[in-house]
Amino acid sequence: MSEAWLETEALDVTYGRTHAVRGVSLTVGEGEIVAVLGANGAGKTSLLRALQGAVKPSGGTIRFMGRDLTNAGSAERVRSGMMLVPEGRQIFVSMTVHENLLMGGHLRRDQSAVEKDIKAVYERFPNLAERRDMKATVLSGGEQQMLAVGRALIGRPKLMMLDEPSLGLSPLFVEKLFSLIQELNGEGLSILLVEQNTHMALEIASRAYVLELGRVTLQGAAADLAADAALAEAYLGAEPA
Amino acid sequence: MLLLQQIANGLMLGSVYVTVAVAFTLTISILNFLNFTIPTLFMLAGMVGWSLAFWGLPFGISGPLPWPLALAGGVVVAIVASLIVERFTFRYLKTRYGDSTEHAIPLVSSLGFLLILENLVRIEHGSDAQRFPGPSADLTLSLAGIHLRVPQVVSLAVVVLLVLGLVWMMKSSRIGRMLRAIAENPDAAGILGIETRRVVPVVFMLTGMLCGLAGALFAVNYGEVSPQMGEDIGSKAIAGMVVGGLGSLWGAVAGGVIIGLIEMMTIHWAGADTVQATVWGALLITLLIRPQGLFGHHAIGKGKL
Ligand SMILES: Nc1ncnc2c1ncn2[C@@H]1O[C@H](COP(=O)(O)OP(=O)(O)OP(=O)(O)O)[C@@H](O)[C@H]1O
Ligand SMILES: [Mg+2]
Repeated sequence: MSEAWLETEALDVTYGRTHAVRGVSLTVGEGEIVAVLGANGAGKTSLLRALQGAVKPSGGTIRFMGRDLTNAGSAERVRSGMMLVPEGRQIFVSMTVHENLLMGGHLRRDQSAVEKDIKAVYERFPNLAERRDMKATVLSGGEQQMLAVGRALIGRPKLMMLDEPSLGLSPLFVEKLFSLIQELNGEGLSILLVEQNTHMALEIASRAYVLELGRVTLQGAAADLAADAALAEAYLGAEPA
Repeated sequence: MLLLQQIANGLMLGSVYVTVAVAFTLTISILNFLNFTIPTLFMLAGMVGWSLAFWGLPFGISGPLPWPLALAGGVVVAIVASLIVERFTFRYLKTRYGDSTEHAIPLVSSLGFLLILENLVRIEHGSDAQRFPGPSADLTLSLAGIHLRVPQVVSLAVVVLLVLGLVWMMKSSRIGRMLRAIAENPDAAGILGIETRRVVPVVFMLTGMLCGLAGALFAVNYGEVSPQMGEDIGSKAIAGMVVGGLGSLWGAVAGGVIIGLIEMMTIHWAGADTVQATVWGALLITLLIRPQGLFGHHAIGKGKL
């Protein structure tokens, strides 16, 4: 594996007395898809939010592209190429589809390049192009997820972090979503994917981490984890995947 | 003819209310709180403008300034004061923007600033009303028998341009989108790298500017300022905002104009003593018939600009 793009060391996140993430060390390399798996409340969202700067870690370090971003704000992380597609999509429903996409590029100076990237997103997702001037509320769940991914793409990320993107989508859309993630990865984007859809996540990922009560309890090549009996017992069996 | 003249006067008065109501609306729809310092900023601009025009810069730096310069100084002071309020109501108290449980903090601390600023002005200048040495009131324009004072016409044009500019800014500019994003979902905005702490002062700057200009227009048109001038304007602007619909910019515009018209009509036909009754009566009727106001949404609060 080449040198890691993202690297965390002993990351801790606490909310008052809740210790949501405990000493998590993980890496994501150039062009990799890495999955983070775990049950409800395992600390997956807290981990991603700490990586994007939405919560301050109470301990540990975060490095991205060779820079220490532990104390950096979200803006600096976005500028250096990290983008989070948050849990529940979090698109702006009072804005139009087009305005939502513009929000992904608000830190970029060259607005004509932003418009060009938006055009590329419209080509990728024709459904969004058709509704570009409508309020984002009119979109279906699947389209909203496409918009959330599109919005993140306008930020020109090097690493895209997705928090349970398949949640609440129809099986057809889930298929589409996973092939989209592979497609983006093929274009050079590194992916950190949080999922409860363990089977599919392990299929597209090269490596994976399993979180339990905030701690990494298992990690390794996705293929090995898919065959691991403990994981199968803990998650694959329990989840109607 | 008399009616038309009253309508013209009402529009002038209404434009002052509109400007203040728009300032209230901006803070409510973006930051979700009622900024009590708004009437004080209005008063501050008027009083500082008067003091610069009457006495000049402090410490004998200069003698009385020409009135336009003095008013510009008043507007600048209102903007600076508004930014100071932001610094101490929002940042110092570590308010989390958009957190509905913490409205009380900015609300109460802005009330504190109202008292501090108003009393500072009283200590400095006393509570008497002062005559503002503005442009001559004789400058009038007669149009089909209606007499319009030139400063009033200019004021009206300034307010119209201001509101149009503001609407354009919120709708189409980058900063407007950022403000709307914070208003709707501060968390998602933060994840995309919008730095609330750098964007929110813009709201306070605009608030200071709107209130400052309203104070300046008031001084010019009515020729009189006092430390109490904010109280009446503040409550009328809030009445206008509620009539127009809380959280809507066009609502604030319509409501401000309506209150101005009601006030002028009442003064003319029933006397000044009746104004409180008709203005608050209009407010009550609105709340009974159409609680969300003319342009309002059913849900008050976030992302409704
Ligand atoms: N803002 C918060 N304040 C307090 N506790 C929180 C907060 N967010 C999460 N927690 C707690 O931290 C723990 C981890 O939550 P987190 O949302 O990170 O888990 P998750 O793995 O993403 O769960 P899910 O699969 O349900 O999304 C949980 O016990 C949760 O209750
Ligand atoms: Mg989660």
